[in-house]
Amino acid sequence: MFENAEIQPEELPAVDAVTWQDMDAKFLRRQLTESGIGFFFTVIGISSLHTILNVAFADANMDIRLGWLWLIPLFLGPLLFAWPVASVRRKGYAIRERDIIYKSGIFWQTVTAIPFNRIQHVEKSSTPLDRRFQLASLQIYTAGGSGGDLKIHGLPAKTAEKLRQFVLEKIGASVEQA
Amino acid sequence: MRTSPLAAIFYLGRIFEAIAKNAVQSLAPLVAYLIATEGSIATRIGFGLAAFFSIILLSSVVRYWFFRYRITSDSVLIREGVFRKTQLDIKFDRIQAINTEQNIIYRYFGLVTVKFDTAGSTKQEGSLPAVRSELADSLKERIRRARPATAMTDESEPGDEAPVRTILTLTHKDMVRIGLSSNRALFFLVLLGPLIDQLESRIDELIEGGALNLFTGGVEVTLLSGTIIAIAALLAFLLLLMVVSILGAFLRYFGFELIADNDVLRSSGGLLTRHEHSINLAKIQTLEARQNPLLLLFNRYRMRAKQASSSKAGRKKSFVIPLCTDAQLPVLDKEIFGAEYPEVDMRPRSDVFRPVSSRYVRSRLLYMAVLPTVIMLGPLLILMGSAALGLLLWIPVCTLCVWTMYKKYGYFPGNNGLVLRRGLIGFRTDAFLYRKVQRIGITQTPLQKRKALATMRFYMASGTLKLPYVDDQFARQLRDYVLYKVESSNLAWH
Repeated sequence: MFENAEIQPEELPAVDAVTWQDMDAKFLRRQLTESGIGFFFTVIGISSLHTILNVAFADANMDIRLGWLWLIPLFLGPLLFAWPVASVRRKGYAIRERDIIYKSGIFWQTVTAIPFNRIQHVEKSSTPLDRRFQLASLQIYTAGGSGGDLKIHGLPAKTAEKLRQFVLEKIGASVEQA
Repeated sequence: MRTSPLAAIFYLGRIFEAIAKNAVQSLAPLVAYLIATEGSIATRIGFGLAAFFSIILLSSVVRYWFFRYRITSDSVLIREGVFRKTQLDIKFDRIQAINTEQNIIYRYFGLVTVKFDTAGSTKQEGSLPAVRSELADSLKERIRRARPATAMTDESEPGDEAPVRTILTLTHKDMVRIGLSSNRALFFLVLLGPLIDQLESRIDELIEGGALNLFTGGVEVTLLSGTIIAIAALLAFLLLLMVVSILGAFLRYFGFELIADNDVLRSSGGLLTRHEHSINLAKIQTLEARQNPLLLLFNRYRMRAKQASSSKAGRKKSFVIPLCTDAQLPVLDKEIFGAEYPEVDMRPRSDVFRPVSSRYVRSRLLYMAVLPTVIMLGPLLILMGSAALGLLLWIPVCTLCVWTMYKKYGYFPGNNGLVLRRGLIGFRTDAFLYRKVQRIGITQTPLQKRKALATMRFYMASGTLKLPYVDDQFARQLRDYVLYKVESSNLAWH
């Protein structure tokens, strides 16, 4: 027997009602480390440029003013370190019975929901830096090219693996259902 | 099984296509031969062409010889290749659509080329060149039965088969309209516009200043008439291109017929080569109706039913209805969405559409007009002087565009699907069923948040659709509803 009871909008399970899982504290440290490495190489790059030019043109009667280059790290520095703090705080995910929800973005604050019965496959990946902090990323693919992919960065490696298993099970279940 | 020997014609076409695509590389050996050998030019060219064609002919025959196919209970097996063998196994339930092509020679012998449309990449798609048309028909029948959605619901019982109906035919006039309104033709018309103006002013000049000199044979006159000849030649060329475009429309769509056959939509048309396309209604992800300026002039639409596809290859694979009138549009969209979404209305001038928030105009103006102008103006003033003030013109132009876009944005949420309208010069409406959504996102900037607005994104298997600046309460409710529709649906989405 086919049933089609009327649904009131208020009765629908609301995405906003979920309790968000915050990102792991290690993820912030990882992001800050990455910023630190970036900052370090910027400083190294500028100083070596200075040194090389000064050595190369030591004899020539040339005055090379590159002091303004130091403005780059001066402005870049705070941004590099403030950005992860703000963005990690904004990230979060939630898993419901039938979908996975992910939020992110500092200025463009996005909440995305992917129903399990639309997921094509799941991929777990980790960069060397991720592994240093025992983190991993989970990428969720739906049909229809790049626009449909969702990447959750910086999950603890164990959680990522568990999530992967869970999602795979859910995909399998929804296929059997169908 | 082997196909008819006439399949060699198909490969001949393929090879010519390949040559045309990378003309330089493929013709290089020929040129090299012409340069390297000795003898009179005529015999060299004659011999070269003879060799060229015989090689092509031979290779098409060889390719035909190595092509085998077999139709099993659940799939089509294709084995081909001379040196590099490939084996293709196309499962019936993975086939999105079967398209056939019939050129004149094939028509005489009752043969068709069958092309299989699968969700995968275009490269992996198989085709059966030159098979009997009965086989093509039985394959189509097979695919109709293999449709997964039918297997899952008991909605369509064997008894309730609707009769096969023709729902759209196109006339000769329509061919001209299609030809003129094709994007290529449009491009040339845009080019043509300013040229006509120039030509007029040139003629004025000629009449006013140049007419006397014309007979005295001054240098200016030759210069002037030279320009006119050049412009006339260009005009003739553009006209030729338009004629070609119209001819192309005749070739491709002559005698176009759209047939509704239960769950399948079939189109056929073509002057020399008859193309027959069919699409399973259940496989349609989004339906798009477009109206470019010329179609606006003709008051016609071009429709495209999009299937699941990755990236740009999808454009080729969508099912095209090249032209329909304002009255036919609601018939067609209802036919395609059927009982699941009866209230669908894709006519852009329909009054069902709700506007998006007018805040859209403000924020777009800020980001696209005011901010860039303010940032650029300072440096440009220093560089170019007061000429940079011309940059300020960008603001009214941009305002006009943003205002038009705002006016054209509209949405019409139904019980089972949504219609989105947008456009700048023309119109475009997209309709889809909620249950076909793959992923749904809501984005808010801090400014939007303060004004309780949000931008929604519907990620479909055929591409992403955006609904900007709607009430955030509405957006959240619609999202929850769409998720409910997706998650409670047992129908296959593909």
